[in-house]
Order: sequence, then C-alpha cells, then structure tokens
Amino acid sequence: MAGGSVSECKEYLFKVLVIGELGVGKTSIIKRYVHQLFSQHYRATIGVDFALKVINWDSKTLVRLQLWDIAGQERFGNMTRVYYKEAVGAFVVFDVTRGSTFEAVSKWKHDLDSKVKLANGSPIPSVLLANKCDQKKDTSNSTSLMDNFCRETGFLGWFETSAKDNINVDEASRFLVENILANDKGLPYEETNGDRIKLHQETVAAESKSGCC
Amino acid sequence: MASEHLPSEFDVVILGTGLVESVVAAACSRVGQRVLHLDRRSYYAGKWASFTLNGLLSWIDEQNTTLASEEQSKDWSALLEEGEDLIGLSTRDVSPVTNLQVFNYTRSPCLLVARSPCLLVARSPCLLVARSPCLLVARSPCLLVARSPCLLVARYQLLRECFCFSEEEVEEEEVEEEVEEEGQDQTPARETEQEEKRRKRLSYAELLKEGRRFNIDLVSKLLYSRGALIDLLIKSNVSRYAEFKNVTRILTCRHGNIEQVPCSRSDVFSSRLLSVVEKRMLMRFLTSCLDQDTPLLYQDFAQRPYLEFLQHHKLSENLQHFLLHSISMATPDTPTATALTATRHFLQCLGRYGNTPFLFPLYGLGEIPQCFCRMCAVFGGIYCLRHSVQAVVVDKSSNRCKAVIDSQGQRISCSHVVLEEGCFTQNATPTRWVSRAVLITDGSVLPSEAEQQVSIVTIPSESPVRLVELCPSSMTCIPGTHLVHLTCQSLGSAFQDLSPVVTRLFQTADSDHHDQRPGVLWCFYFNMSEGLGSEVSELPSNLFVCPGPDGSLGHDHAIAQAELIFQKILPDEDFCPPAPNPEDVLYPGEEPGTGPSHQGEEPQTSPSHQGEEPETSPSPQGEEPQTSPTHQGEEPETSPSHQGEEPETSPSLQGAEPETSPSLQGAEPETSPSHQGKEPETSPSLQGEEPETSPSLQGAEPEKIPVQPENGTQG
Ligand SMILES: Cc1cc2nc3c(=O)[nH]c(=O)nc-3n(C[C@H](O)[C@H](O)[C@H](O)COP(=O)(O)OP(=O)(O)OC[C@H]3O[C@@H](n4cnc5c(N)ncnc54)[C@H](O)[C@@H]3O)c2cc1C
Ligand SMILES: Nc1nc2c(ncn2[C@@H]2O[C@H](COP(=O)(O)OP(=O)(O)OP(=O)(O)O)[C@@H](O)[C@H]2O)c(=O)[nH]1
Ligand SMILES: [Mg+2]
Repeated sequence: MAGGSVSECKEYLFKVLVIGELGVGKTSIIKRYVHQLFSQHYRATIGVDFALKVINWDSKTLVRLQLWDIAGQERFGNMTRVYYKEAVGAFVVFDVTRGSTFEAVSKWKHDLDSKVKLANGSPIPSVLLANKCDQKKDTSNSTSLMDNFCRETGFLGWFETSAKDNINVDEASRFLVENILANDKGLPYEETNGDRIKLHQETVAAESKSGCC
Repeated sequence: MASEHLPSEFDVVILGTGLVESVVAAACSRVGQRVLHLDRRSYYAGKWASFTLNGLLSWIDEQNTTLASEEQSKDWSALLEEGEDLIGLSTRDVSPVTNLQVFNYTRSPCLLVARSPCLLVARSPCLLVARSPCLLVARSPCLLVARSPCLLVARYQLLRECFCFSEEEVEEEEVEEEVEEEGQDQTPARETEQEEKRRKRLSYAELLKEGRRFNIDLVSKLLYSRGALIDLLIKSNVSRYAEFKNVTRILTCRHGNIEQVPCSRSDVFSSRLLSVVEKRMLMRFLTSCLDQDTPLLYQDFAQRPYLEFLQHHKLSENLQHFLLHSISMATPDTPTATALTATRHFLQCLGRYGNTPFLFPLYGLGEIPQCFCRMCAVFGGIYCLRHSVQAVVVDKSSNRCKAVIDSQGQRISCSHVVLEEGCFTQNATPTRWVSRAVLITDGSVLPSEAEQQVSIVTIPSESPVRLVELCPSSMTCIPGTHLVHLTCQSLGSAFQDLSPVVTRLFQTADSDHHDQRPGVLWCFYFNMSEGLGSEVSELPSNLFVCPGPDGSLGHDHAIAQAELIFQKILPDEDFCPPAPNPEDVLYPGEEPGTGPSHQGEEPQTSPSHQGEEPETSPSPQGEEPQTSPTHQGEEPETSPSHQGEEPETSPSLQGAEPETSPSLQGAEPETSPSHQGKEPETSPSLQGEEPETSPSLQGAEPEKIPVQPENGTQG
C-alpha cells in the first residue's frame, strides 16, 4: 500500500465502506463530506460506485479516500464481494431519531466483520456514526453507554454527526483515516500486486500511476 | 437488515445469479430498467460460484443432505386474477452435482469431521469423526468415531492401536504388511530433507484454519484475452471491479512428462524442445493459419480430421502434438475447419496481455458474475439472496408473464422474467455432464524459477483433460499450496475419469514411491451437469431461460446467450454501454480543484475521457431531476431509457481502429507492438508476446500503464 515514490510524498488510496439502515443519512454524509452539499430531498444516486475525497493529510502524505455507498438497492443486506473487496475501513451509520436503526448496528457490524478482514485476520477499523444529531431531542443519552457499546461491538469509536449542519463529519473521517494509516502495515493480503492486470478502456494519456501497493 | 418488503412492480425479474443472468441484469439495469435480481441460495453466482475451503465443505455437505427434502408447493391461486395461470417453479436445483467424493491426504496429525463419504489415508495419528460412510486407511494409530458404516484398513500391529467408537458398524480389515511396509519405511530415505520439510508444513487443520483464503471455483474456465467476456468487461466498464492474472504457461503432458508448449514467437525461438527446422516449420504453419485465405489451404480437409491435415503438412510428431492438443485443444478427429478456427482464435489472443491467450480473475471466476451484479445494483437493481420465485403468473390469452410470486407469497408484477436453467421441475434431465476435480497440492506440476505461475495443461486422453493450476498470487489458495482444477467431458464418474490423471501427475499419500511430483493435500471430485436442453416447450414469450456453465474453456457461449436475451427484452437498446467512471462524476456546485480540501482531486480525470457520461441520473422511477455535470465534452444523460447514445465517443473496442494486420512473415522477433489491443480479426500478429514489451496491456492503447491495483498508490 505504501507507495513511496521518488519524492518524499506518500500517496494512499483507501477504500472505505459506508453502511447502515435505509435512510439513516449515508448518502447525505458522503455528499456533505466530499461535495459540501446537503439536500433535504431523498435522492438515490444512480450509476456511481463511490465518491472520492482527496485529503492533504500532512506535507508528506496524500490520502485518496474512496467512499463506497451501499447502492440503495443492496440494502437488503446482500452486497456482493465486489463491494467489500479490499476495503480498509468502514462507517456504520444510524439515525438518532429512529431507535430501530441503532438496533441494526450490531447486525451490520457483524456482517462487515464476516465479509472482510485485514491481512492479519483482524477486523477492518470501523467507526460508528450517530447521524442527524441536529434533530436529537434529549441530550441525556449517556456517553458512557455508547463508549461501552463500541468497545463491545468492536468499533474504534463513535461520533454524533449531522450531515445537515455539518457537525463532526470531518472529525469522524479524520479519526478513521488515522486508524487506517496506523494499520497500514497490515493491509489486506499480499503487497506484490505487480503482475495484476486491470482492463481499461480509457484512452486518456497514461497517468503516472506507480502501482505498487 | 433484510426485513423490508420488496417493491411490487419491476420491469425485469431475474432469478439466479449465474454469469448469464448477471450479465442480463446489468445490461437491463444499465439502460434504466427496474431490475429485481433474486437467488434462492445464500451466495452469489450459483454454479459459477467460488467458495472458501470451509464454504466449499459446507456446500458439499448441503449437496449431500438437501437432496431428499422436497418443499411442498403452496396454493397461490388466491393471488390470481381472471384469465391467469400459474407455472410452478422448482425451489432448488433440479440438476445438482453428483458423485461427490472428498479425499484427504495428510501427513500430520489431524482431526477430520467427515460429512460426506470420504477416504482418509492417515500417516500420522488422526481422529476421524465420520458422519458418512468412510474408508480410513491408517498408517498410524488412529481414532475413528463413526456414525455411519465405515471401513478401517490397517496393518495388523496398527489395527490394535486404532480405536473405533461406532454407532454404526465398522469393518476392520487387516492388510498384509509387504507393500505398506515398503512405502512407509523407505519414504524418509528417498525424500530430501527439504522435501520432507515442505510436505510436513501443511496439515489439514492448517488448510482449514486458512480456509477463508481459498477461493475454489465450481466451474473451471479461463478468459480468452480477445474473447466475448473480456470485450464485454471492457466495453461496459464492469472491468473496474476485477483484476486479473495472466496465465503464464501452456503445458502439455506427453509420455508422462509435463512440457511447456511454445506458442508465442518468443517461446518458439527459445524452446529447447524444438529443432531449428521444427521452429521454422511451426512459425510457417502458424503464420499461414493467420492468413486471411487459409480456407483455401485446407479446403480439401475442412471436414476431415485435423490430425490428417497436420500429417499432410509433414509436421513432426512434436509439432503435431503441440498444435493438436495444446493450441487447437482438439482431439485427433476434430474436423480441420473447427480446429483451425480454434487455432486462429488462440493466436489472435496472444500478446494482448501476455504471452498466452488467457487471463484468470483474482479471487476466482465467481467474481465475474458478482461484478455484473454490482453494476446492476449501482444502476438501481435490487438484490435479494435466499429469496426465490415460487411461481410465474401467465396471462392465458397472450401467453405472457404478468407477474411472479416470491417465496414470501408476494405478487410482483413485471414485464419480463429471466430464469436460470433448472427452474422447471418437469422433464429436466441433464443431457451432458462434466467431470471435475479440485486438488490442493503442495507444489507445481512443473516447478520453475518464477514461483508464481498460472498454468493450463492439456492432457490428451479419450476425453481430453484440461488442468488449470493456480498459484497463491491468484488469490485462490494459500502460500505453500497450488489449487488445481481438472475438467473433462464425462465418460464415467468424475473419479473414474480423472483419478488416473491425478495419480499420474501427483503423489497421493497412498502412492508407493516418492519422487518430485507435487503431493495432493486435499481432493474433491464431482460431476456437474452441462446444459439441460429445453425444459419446457412452450414458454411464455417474455420468459427467458439462461444456460448454466458449459464445459468449454471460454465464456463466449454464455455472453452470446446473455446478449441474445437482452436483445429480446429490449430490442432497441444498447447492450452494456460504458458506465461512467465514479471519479469523473461531478455534482452541481462543485468546482473541481478549488477549496483546500479539494486540492488535487481527480487529477486524472482529464477531459479527454471519452464515452463516459457522468451521470447522476434519475432513479428508476425517473422522477429525479438531472444534475448536470460541469465537465466539458461529457454528455449528461437525462433519460434512463436512452438509446444508442454516446456512439462516437465510446472507445469500446468495436470497430474503432483502422486495420493493421501485420503478418508473421518477416520473422524477426521485434517489431512494433503498437497495433495491439484492437479488433481481434485484424491484428492476428504473433508479435508483442514478449512479456517485457507489454506485460499488462489494456484494451485500447498499449502505451497506457494499466496496472492500477484497487488499493494502489498513485502518483
Ligand atoms: C473478492 C474477495 C476479496 C477479498 N478481499 C479481502 C480483503 O481485502 N481482505 C481480507 O482479509 N480478505 C479478503 N478476502 C477474503 C474474505 O474476506 C474471506 O473469504 C472472508 O472474510 C470470509 O472469511 P471467514 O473466515 O468468515 O469465512 P468462512 O467462515 O469460511 O465463510 C463465511 C460464510 O460465508 C460463506 N462463504 C464464504 N465464501 C463464500 C463464497 N464465495 N460464496 C458463497 N458463500 C461463501 C461460507 O459458507 C460461510 O457461511 C476476499 C475474498 C474475496 C472473495
Ligand atoms: N436533519 C437531518 N436530516 C438528515 C441528516 N442526514 C440525512 N438527513 C436526511 O435523511 C434522509 C435520508 O438521507 P440519505 O442520505 O438519503 O440516507 P441513506 O442512508 O443514504 O438512505 P438509503 O440510500 O436509502 O439507504 C434525507 O431526507 C436527508 O435529507 C442529518 O444529519 N440531519
Ligand atoms: Mg443512499
């Protein structure tokens, strides 16, 4: 994964999954984060696998984050392996205004862990997002309960987010990326991808992709 | 997660997630059809699936147990309207695999829970828990817990040391000491220490522990680099979901030896198996095969056996063997015309991606249907596994399907129904069978300097056997092992057809002498039906049945069938136009390259991207406003059911390039490879196969650097 090129600058490409129940705001969070947009209208984006966010992590590190939304269609919980393949991190989202979406969180987490693992066999880092916090009524909900839940379920941590008011979205992402970078040594499977072939059709001039991984 | 109700109206309902069904699903969804894609199984790809080792063991288990249970069909007539009729569907495979046999050869202590009939040859103390009839050949003290009738074979001494706890009868049998003795005692002496170490390394328990890293295909096929499937993957952009490895060697088995077949120009010139004269003859022959007017050459032979044709051309025995078995993959009596067509295809496929004509998908063939499913889902298709269609509702007067009734008794209306084969219980009898074996071995059939080879071996025989050997970097097996697939048209059971080849090429634990041949750690034989013929004579005109995998090496038949079905459903639509590249899709209000967090975003979406309409296109219902992209030269797509757009921009492989058909003559090894990657029939050159010139060519432009691993760093 670590692609030390000629210069000191390291570039990373991370595939991050965004999963959770119907309507919890997965697409909204991605749009907010990547495109600085929010829309009240329910809109299913058709024909797009993932959104790309490029982060200048620090002076030496560039991170390209591919955020893979569940194509709404796969929401019946039957994503193909293509979706999980080589993911290195995940957000599991629920809607604070709908308790049932929180109850489903452990199912999603369990499903995730059964479908993809890091090379060393451990689960991929995942972060829990309590979305739509702008609509939350009681603030009493205990932080320690959530902390416990994360520990038990295997989340690195959790954030109260709002795609609408742009709360904590960047922070959550930064937190996840930090963890992915820390895991960098143990990324999926072999690093020797040199002889792998990708079929392309683009006629774009060769971008200098140093495909070491 | 999966608790919601399905919508009750779709354009196309598809049952089964095999390759053909999945391609149809992607194609329909891509042009705006509302697709519901179901599979009654808990996994994708049906007969085309790949399993982890553990997954395969449970699958084998299932095949052995579910045969008996037949679901009673419910009465759905309440859901019918006036003038409607029901066609009931089978809810499980009519033509499952048969003759499943599993063999474990282990030299380390192991615990084996046998759920299918199995043979265990134990060289170390083992515990066998047998739930099915088993044969245990014990060469060490063993413990057998038998829940089914079992046979335990051991030498006298050992038999006393083996213990059986049985709920069923166990026959114990003594064997004479001689042969066994010899095999046992001389083994260590003959094996080099290193060999011994290598063999010791992997036990069955270790295989199971690492089981999830195996991806074992039920079907063994390869992709011709200019075959219909590769072309479709490229054309549709579904290729973005998959990565491939080149098959690096073509091998053949002759006089009991494995030899490398020289098939590319560089191979021919460097081959040590061929004399100078043979090299010249071979080059001349191959060149003439590529010639446009070959038909004239073989006119007299067209329907006569290819072997006669080769003999007529005075080709040496060496060359006859290579040309017949490995290059045309024919049998001695294949008609010349057929064999030459195959030869041509083979030659045309050389050099596109490497120096053999074949590619293999990382993680196994089961990836490919899933790639098409993902494309379908991305364009709005809805997926449900463990969900089946119980019956199809047919309008009597028009003989057309109107709806399906799913396993939850929900009536879902639709305009077209696509089914995998085997859905109709009545008169479905498999016509032809394929014999298959899957082996996990501890070495390659032809060890070489380069560790990670993917090889195809053709083994002449009454029913020619095709062997594909995969290395760990194909992501189908673990380091220290190879995954071997054997396939042939069935004459008898898979074991009868293939075990002679297995014992010839590999050491099984009961092999008597020890040599350099790789050892088999685990082995599984089964027969799979190939095509069911027509199941029902008068199908409704909007119901289509997809064929399952055939025994051939390539995928052309499957893809042709899928396109045919698509064209019947949507005669005026484009088949799998390119999907936009996600990185090219811009949203309103987004200004590329501005804003600190955006810096460097999408640096490689250069405007010269062609044929990729960024589309944030409407949901299937079409009520969404179009968000218009800001990229120049890219056409927004407004209608979900557009037809034939992006004709001039599409860089798909069809008909795009001017003809460049350099022939082989002028036999100097090095010429410009720049014609590659286009039109199969126009660039039948043997050049450019030298791996170093273009180890990883892409579809269109050889100068491109195509290697872009999923997680690849770029820059
Ligand atoms: C395309 C692909 C990409 C992968 N990428 C990664 C990766 O990036 N990182 C990583 O660590 N691992 C990767 N793997 C390996 C994959 O994560 C493991 O196979 C998966 O985690 C299952 O592990 P397990 O031990 O839970 O399997 P198991 O416990 O053996 O399987 C879990 C369940 O899934 C079923 N199952 C397994 N495989 C199949 C199948 N092919 N079809 C149907 N059912 C099946 C089994 O029957 C079982 O019920 C990849 C595998 C594939 C096929
Ligand atoms: N108030 C509020 N509404 C939000 C927030 N995030 C999303 N929404 C709204 O919730 C609804 C669903 O959001 P989506 O982003 O489409 O949810 P999703 O998880 O992608 O939904 P599916 O793709 O259908 O599974 C939309 O109406 C959003 O406007 C938020 O943070 N606050
Ligand atoms: Mg969404």
